[in-house]
Amino acid sequence: MSSLHDIELIPASVDVSATFDEAARALAESRLPALAVLDEGRVVGLFTDEELLLGVSPKYLDELRHTAFLESELPSLREHAAAVRSEPVRKHMRKPITVELDSSSLHASERFVHCDEGAIAVVDGDGRFVGMLSKAEFAYAMLRRLTGS
Amino acid sequence: MDVVAVGIFLAALILIAFEWTHRTKVALCGAAAVVLLGILEQEQAIAAIDWSTLGLLVGMMVIVGLTERTGVFTYLALRVAQLSRGRPMRLVFLLAGVTGVMSAFLDNLTAILLVVPITLLLADLLKVSPIPLVLVEVIASNIGGTATLIGDPPNIMIGTAKPELSFLDFIVNLAPVAIVTLLVVTTGLALAFRKQLVIEPERRREVDRLDPAADMRGAPYVTRSLLVLLGTIVGFFLHAPLHIEPAVVALTGATVMLLVAADDVENALERVEWATIFFFIGLFVMVGGLEERGVIDRVAEGFADLTGGSRSLEALVILWGSAAGSAVVDNIPFTAAMIPVVDSLQGDGFDDAAWWALALGACFGGNATIIAAAANVAASGVLDRSGQPVSFVRFLMVGLPVTAVSLVIATVYLVLFQL
Repeated sequence: MSSLHDIELIPASVDVSATFDEAARALAESRLPALAVLDEGRVVGLFTDEELLLGVSPKYLDELRHTAFLESELPSLREHAAAVRSEPVRKHMRKPITVELDSSSLHASERFVHCDEGAIAVVDGDGRFVGMLSKAEFAYAMLRRLTGS
Repeated sequence: MDVVAVGIFLAALILIAFEWTHRTKVALCGAAAVVLLGILEQEQAIAAIDWSTLGLLVGMMVIVGLTERTGVFTYLALRVAQLSRGRPMRLVFLLAGVTGVMSAFLDNLTAILLVVPITLLLADLLKVSPIPLVLVEVIASNIGGTATLIGDPPNIMIGTAKPELSFLDFIVNLAPVAIVTLLVVTTGLALAFRKQLVIEPERRREVDRLDPAADMRGAPYVTRSLLVLLGTIVGFFLHAPLHIEPAVVALTGATVMLLVAADDVENALERVEWATIFFFIGLFVMVGGLEERGVIDRVAEGFADLTGGSRSLEALVILWGSAAGSAVVDNIPFTAAMIPVVDSLQGDGFDDAAWWALALGACFGGNATIIAAAANVAASGVLDRSGQPVSFVRFLMVGLPVTAVSLVIATVYLVLFQL
């Protein structure tokens, strides 16, 4: 296997002008852990399941190490979720991880191992978005190809 | 070369004060400049580093970091919240108390990083602004940290630089004034914040529904971690009669902790805040440069001229001057520079009052501005990330009067009991 051409890519993306709510719906429908945020066809960010989770959680969630003590829901959660829905997705996206369509499978593997994302964006030689590559789909495709099954 | 050494140090202080880049980068650049420009030879630079301070810091970081996994500190913070029964004034006093005690026996930066996130959640649960509570905690951490040799970085530096001052000496001489100051300041803050801390009666019951011990159930090595932490604290109390340095106590505790309560050493050592350690290394080298060029001695001479050799005036100028210096820059570099100055002032003699004045000035001065102490910077970072930032001015409006009151109490204490 020398490139990503014969692996299924999923065109999961939202425009950079989308809201958090639109991005969340697109992410859930794609059944991928991340989707691309595009500006005129180019990948400007990734909206991942982590951004979705942090978006609907209190902003201090990342600071907490222990939470099992809490037995009731926080009253602010509902207000917080209502407010975040209309926020622009660009406020919640992370730096994009991309790999070129002509890249070797080893390069794609290395990108996955070191970026710790569940899916990365595949771009063509001009840097335009082609589709999302899921880590599981990619790894399974490699397994099938390498074992000839 | 003298001017260059002073220039490097002042430039570093300015860069740290204005937070133009990470303080560790500034300190390391300063240290590199000191060596590359020939102010210190490499061997002198290495000799200028106070390895005891670094050992004490690393040891405590490992011990506290591994104990934190057990959820015991969360348990303490939640228990005091429950004891408050959701009543704001009680909550302020109890949070200040637990933060002060944790700061004294862990260190104030760690205490803040443990307590503030829980406070954000408690405030959310009680539907009050977390900012007054966090400000109280930051101030309590700086005052509580004053009480012991390990509570605040200035005290760690003083305690390791002056082996004549034991852990018990710090407690005997500083804990009483720290406790009185904490009570007075917390009362003032509770009154000042009372209108911002109105808790609806139905929200008060929420704290009763918390299960503080939940995170401890199933946590790894709870008993072992707590025993090692307690053993280390007992070790600090006994270090002087046993003729063991505090750094040896902390590093021994950390070693035992790694042996009995850590499966993965690499993961355990990630608890060490290497950026802080390298910050100290850079500072020690820069101050070493000032010492080598005779700058410290000249500052001490000027200081002695100013005070006319009066012991009382000297101590009070150290107290208020250290507080002012710490407020403007950061109490860690300020103390690093002041230790050799006080040492030089004393010549061959030893007067512990001057050291208590320096500890009180640097630690209490840490409350004046948002950049004056590492705990303040850490708390403001957590508040920023949680979307509730505290501005420099807002902190100053609280910190400056608190510092003034604290220094008045410290002045009365020094005059009545030390001078």
